[in-house]
Amino acid sequence: MLRLRLMPAIILSVVLGLAASLALTAAPPQAKSAAAEVDPHKAFGSKSAPVTMEVFSDFQCPACRTLYMTIWRQLLDDYVSTGKVYLIHRDFPLPMHAHSRVAAQYASAAARLGKYEQVERVLFENQDSWAASGDIDGTVAKVLTPAQMVKVRALVKGGALDEAIEKDIALGHFYNVSQTPTTVFFANGQTYPYGGVMSYDILRQFLNQLLNQK
Amino acid sequence: MMQSFPLNLRRSIIWLGRLVLAAIFIYAGYAKIFLPTMHPRPPVALALSFFAMQVDSYQMLPPWGVNFVAHTLPFAEIALGLLLLLGWRLRIWASLATLIMLGFFVVVVRSYALGLSINCGCFANPEPLTIKTVFRDGLLLALSLAMTVLAFLEARSPHPWSEKSYRT
Repeated sequence: MLRLRLMPAIILSVVLGLAASLALTAAPPQAKSAAAEVDPHKAFGSKSAPVTMEVFSDFQCPACRTLYMTIWRQLLDDYVSTGKVYLIHRDFPLPMHAHSRVAAQYASAAARLGKYEQVERVLFENQDSWAASGDIDGTVAKVLTPAQMVKVRALVKGGALDEAIEKDIALGHFYNVSQTPTTVFFANGQTYPYGGVMSYDILRQFLNQLLNQK
Repeated sequence: MMQSFPLNLRRSIIWLGRLVLAAIFIYAGYAKIFLPTMHPRPPVALALSFFAMQVDSYQMLPPWGVNFVAHTLPFAEIALGLLLLLGWRLRIWASLATLIMLGFFVVVVRSYALGLSINCGCFANPEPLTIKTVFRDGLLLALSLAMTVLAFLEARSPHPWSEKSYRT
């Protein structure tokens, strides 16, 4: 009776031992290059910050909007402007969103003029309206001058921005990003990929743990 | 003769349930506490705060609830897995395992139905929550339920190797 009851324990010990040895020898996910190939206009904070956060985002994704509206400002104030976190925006327009790639092009074009923050904000704040109408140009025009809009439209039509967006997407695939928002944290040579929205209190707790790591 | 054979279908299912669920619970708890795919391993406190973010992504609990779950669930999973393996008071721990699996299943179905773009967080890896996750949790719930029901039925009849059955 006792022997039969303990049989699963014996078998499982062997199986777990084998699994543990496989896990230890498996190749760990490598941090490709957290700060390499970064558009400086779409990155915030100091490159030498101990923690880097790369946010793979889609302007038409409601969860990305929630992430932006709920934690972005506090994150910039508490961690980015104080040199603790280097925050990078990565475009990851999902095929299921009809206008997200165009929105990413407009935002990237505005970034070249140093107007990324304004355009990012207006796109997220008015997501419902332009997602329904497709009027990204009109939405972006709310925060840029007519002269700036001429330059932005020229950049969007030029097609040169697609290369940068494709690089962001390729980087996302490297990190196995399949959904937005996905945030990849880098600290002390370790990579922590995280999918979804988080509340600021819980994010702060995690960032503090990363910063306190020796 | 058949009655005296120790591994009939009922006992085989109980045995399989104990083995599979114990392995899953122990590995899930271990992975959340130690993040085995990372080299070097991060400190436990960091791993648990990372798991707290994954719990938070389900958007069901306030921050104190998130922290409570994140700091107790991994240890409870390991303990439950070991108790299932030992088979001591099996009906109690099988019932608890079924309740926990039911909780996981409800949470996963809810998140999938709401279209939340999140990671499962089940094994502390970046596995997206998809229909596969729903089916996997459903299967594990079914196995756990079968194990529990059969463990109660089994308790009604003496085991063929028990002293009582030898005497009769």
